Amino acid sequence: MSVFVIGYYAALIAASCLAAYFNYRRTFMLLFSLTLVSFVLGIIGGTPALRVVTIFAGALALAVGTSYAFKEFLVQIARPNLAKELRTAPLTASFGMFVIFTYAIAGIFAPVIAPHGEAEVIASAFAPPDANMLLGADQLGRDVFSRIIYGARNTVGLALTATILAFLMGALAGLLAAVKGGWFDQIMGRAADVIMSVPSLIFALLMLSIFGTSLVVIVIVVAVIYSPRVFRLTRAVAGNIVVMDYIEAAKLRGEGDWYLIRREILPNSMSPLIAEFGLEFCFVFLLIAGLSFLGLGIQPPTADWGSMVRENATLISFGDITPLIPAAAIALLTVAVNFVVDWMLFRSSGLKEH
Amino acid sequence: MTKKDQELIDRIAEGARKGRISRRDFMYYSTAAGLTATTATGLWTKSAAAAPQRGGTFRWGLHDGNTGDTHDPGTYVTRTMIFLAHTHRSYLTMINGDGSLGPDLADSWEASADASEWTFNLNQNASFHSGRKVTADDVIASLNHHRGDETTSAAKALLTDVVEITKDGDHTVKVKLTGGNADLPWLMTDYHFAICPANDDGTIDWKSGDGSGPYKIDSGEFGVQFSLSRHDGWHGEGAWFDKVDIITLNDPNARQTALVTGDVDSVSLIELKTMALLQRDPNINIFNIPSAGAITLPMLCDTPPFDNVDVRNALKLSMNRDEIIEKIAFGAATKANDFHHSPAQPYWPDDIPQREYDPDQAKSLLKKAGAEGLSVSISTADSVYAGAVDMAVLYAEQAKASGINIDVVREPNDGYYSDVWLKKPWCLVSWGARPTPDVMYTLAYKSDAAWNESRWQNERFNELLLQAKAELDDTLRAEMYREMAMLARDDGGTVIPFFNNFVYAARANVGTPDQLAASWESDGARAASRWWFTS
Amino acid sequence: MGDLTRLVLKRLGLGLLTLLVVSILIFFAVELLPGDIAEAVLGQSATPETVAEMRRQLGLDQPAVWRYLQWLGGAVQGDFGVSLVSGEPVSEAIGDRFVNTLFLAAYAAVIAVPISIILGVTVALLRNTLFDRVANVLTLTSISSPEFFLGYILILFLAVKTNMFPAIASLSSDMSLSELLNRTFLPALTLVLVVTAHMMRMTRAAIINLLASPYIEMARLKGTPPWKVIVKHALPNAWAPIINVIALNLAYLITGVVLVEVVFVYPGIGQALVDAVAKRDFPIVQACCLIFAATFILLNLAADVGAILTNPRLRHPK
Repeated sequence: MSVFVIGYYAALIAASCLAAYFNYRRTFMLLFSLTLVSFVLGIIGGTPALRVVTIFAGALALAVGTSYAFKEFLVQIARPNLAKELRTAPLTASFGMFVIFTYAIAGIFAPVIAPHGEAEVIASAFAPPDANMLLGADQLGRDVFSRIIYGARNTVGLALTATILAFLMGALAGLLAAVKGGWFDQIMGRAADVIMSVPSLIFALLMLSIFGTSLVVIVIVVAVIYSPRVFRLTRAVAGNIVVMDYIEAAKLRGEGDWYLIRREILPNSMSPLIAEFGLEFCFVFLLIAGLSFLGLGIQPPTADWGSMVRENATLISFGDITPLIPAAAIALLTVAVNFVVDWMLFRSSGLKEH
Repeated sequence: MTKKDQELIDRIAEGARKGRISRRDFMYYSTAAGLTATTATGLWTKSAAAAPQRGGTFRWGLHDGNTGDTHDPGTYVTRTMIFLAHTHRSYLTMINGDGSLGPDLADSWEASADASEWTFNLNQNASFHSGRKVTADDVIASLNHHRGDETTSAAKALLTDVVEITKDGDHTVKVKLTGGNADLPWLMTDYHFAICPANDDGTIDWKSGDGSGPYKIDSGEFGVQFSLSRHDGWHGEGAWFDKVDIITLNDPNARQTALVTGDVDSVSLIELKTMALLQRDPNINIFNIPSAGAITLPMLCDTPPFDNVDVRNALKLSMNRDEIIEKIAFGAATKANDFHHSPAQPYWPDDIPQREYDPDQAKSLLKKAGAEGLSVSISTADSVYAGAVDMAVLYAEQAKASGINIDVVREPNDGYYSDVWLKKPWCLVSWGARPTPDVMYTLAYKSDAAWNESRWQNERFNELLLQAKAELDDTLRAEMYREMAMLARDDGGTVIPFFNNFVYAARANVGTPDQLAASWESDGARAASRWWFTS
Repeated sequence: MGDLTRLVLKRLGLGLLTLLVVSILIFFAVELLPGDIAEAVLGQSATPETVAEMRRQLGLDQPAVWRYLQWLGGAVQGDFGVSLVSGEPVSEAIGDRFVNTLFLAAYAAVIAVPISIILGVTVALLRNTLFDRVANVLTLTSISSPEFFLGYILILFLAVKTNMFPAIASLSSDMSLSELLNRTFLPALTLVLVVTAHMMRMTRAAIINLLASPYIEMARLKGTPPWKVIVKHALPNAWAPIINVIALNLAYLITGVVLVEVVFVYPGIGQALVDAVAKRDFPIVQACCLIFAATFILLNLAADVGAILTNPRLRHPK
């Protein structure tokens, strides 16, 4: 029995007792069941298993703490109106906001934060991490940490632009189609069908081979590929709303299409759209990664996470974590964005429970 | 014998079994470890030279296949088809494991004094899978498939100096050339020149997939899988496996895992990035064979700024080949010297000084050319060579030391050879192994060659090329190739970083000959007929 | 019901129109691609003469519009031409592969659709609890890694380390069904992971979106148990967006699985399409794209019919 194991159980039991004493029932249950589970784990997995639990719990506690502090921080600096909203945000949402904030900072100030240039070769291939290179070097001897930071700027910037463009085009067309109906609806619907019925990778392959692979073309092609999905969803949701009585009423009042969209339909169809936004955003990452599979992605040596995963993907078969780092960066951002989206979804649904 | 000695001997024996050490080293080390010469010889035989045995199904994962492949030898382009061709069809000649030229369908061959007329005598036992004997008519039809106005063969350029092909009896073929070509028998190993059964009208029947090779096709789907079984009447030696399954595995990870899990017995290419990791697996043997395949960076010599020889040489000097070999090829390459003649080819001149990374000299050359602060673009694509884009990026970093700015442009994989190669002023190209320097130079460096990829014009070089081609005296020929190499190195428009090794792998229970051919991956594409199962 | 039949017929007619537009689009996109089949087939070894000869033999020297009309003339009679590369009829060249693709898609869908709807309803019921969060994080993580990477990880754990399933999904015709299911389990699982999150989250969002409606409030105030509120009251009105997302994902399972096919060496239609694009083999590209387009149109139609059936208000557009 090492000092660590004794300390581990002592800390858990002490915390459980404290929770019980101060009558925090849920906390007590959680802590004490963890203590019981730890007995089993300790017997089966030994000290390493307990260490993993500690690290995991520590990371979770850190995340919770950060989220809480970040929320308080936002509440302090925001205007009263916004602060009131923010106060209702669950911890997951503030965690999401914190991650997005961090990524934004990393992206905007990439050249200042990154210790090395994104293309700068400073070490031998796959050099292990050291004080100079936090995450080691990639196959060319470039600093992985710096490339992740630059990747935030390139990948997120590109994906965000493309997603927003796709949403602008898709949602607008969808709302108009739902309101106007008739031939406009038909034409847009058919156009969307045509684009969607060609698989996205093939569509991108054809378009990028024809028009070249500059950034502008990539953004437009990706937006064109994804806008029909947004269109269809908007059209379906708005279609359900358009047949509602209050729309009838507004129409009889003589309101114009634009008013209907802005004041009646959009607010009522927001939540599925927001949910979709969070998902489409990460699909765009993946499409760009898939494009680089066909040699059509972002030009080298620009760092982007999708390509970084792809370049070293085969190493995973040997348990090497190099490709996991950019993959984790994508996953973390996706989870964060969707946490925030969930919160907004919850708010806009008007549910007042809890 | 101490325990330590025993361990050493075990290690050496293990090395011998995996083909990592030669017989000579083996004898040296084992006698040093205290064995007598006789015991050592016995151990060698047991460890390495275990006699091949028949049997088993060889599952062979190949790295490049396409749904649109066909059996037409004129349009062979993917590795799967080339390797399949070496398994189910025959050629006139073949490259042996030791790099020499050996017989396949042709038993023997001889040239006229000026090397302008060649006679090939066919093996009388050779037969197609359908049972019919291979005759001179089949050979003539198969070669004519690549000649004439009607042909769509990619190998047409190789046979342009053939005047006519005639037969002399059923088993003798005569090839008449416009000029001397001492390398014609070598040329006949080109993968396009597979011998197919002739139709009555002088065309060939390639559609049926019939051939005279060691295995016959039982069933297959292009780009997916082929099942073959032994052709009992095969004229050659070997074909130890009862059956061969050729499986197209385009994805590097799929190949690797299939090999590790034992879903295939051998793969034709492994990713260099994971080579060192794969080596740790005791069930897998990795073969790392220097080849004549090369990566070239041709600059169009008639397009500024590459029309200035000083600029060209400055760019050659700005490349740190050692770092590129270490980081891109992971050591699995032979350093090149800006002339396209590899140590794996005959007549290689070994006394030419290696060009090293020298940014200072590059700078002074640029100054001389008045091109300081040079900025150029290089086009590349991932499909050219695993790591091609990375290599260009790394080169661009290295060239910064000479004050040169290289923009790396990644082009689409798709259509690279039709839209980029020979069109963009500077690009990155991968060349397969060609058997002799003559074939290589004639294809891509001769002034009027269709694929003169650098549009380099050098009178002396072209003169020497023609002379060397017809020269039957090896010493004189070697001297000519040396001079040509110097010209290409110091005046030519192609930066050649390295000759890539073939790196492939097999499960430990696959036996291989001591020497593996360097003409293609997997023992010159002939693993199916040359390898065997040891257990 | 007469309305609905008429709608279906109308949509089928429009679907044919869409197919026509797709075929024109694809034909000219392939035409616009740099290089053509002759250059692609001959690759690095192309010379001007051989390229010209091959073009002549394949009839590529005729004007593009004429070639398209010729193809269209055949297509309306059910003849989709022959592959330019192999000379094989298109139906033979891709028939088996299409069946393979359908099989894999069906395999994945049978697992993914029920799971995602049940999960979606459950997390809507247990919203903002630990279960909701964990389900969310796991599914989001699974879709936020590129699918080829997901495949590699599954191969590492389920094939290389534990040897539970084969790493490559190569098929042969004499396999029994159970063997087939075992062989294709890993690609199917990869696809399940890829599509589940999307469907699950949409189910959850669509249900939560309705929870503030007065009739739900009413049901709740009546004392109906929460699960009953969701399953009986919210779910029926949430079907339209859910069906839509399911249709989208089913279509993705058929049309978007190229990378999974490559990773698991599965002989599906996606690989054939990419190969055909690379070779500029127009009849094959066209046939594959039309199959995909038809799949899409039919699934979309099914989704719309489903939406109408679940929301009678849509049946009488005003």
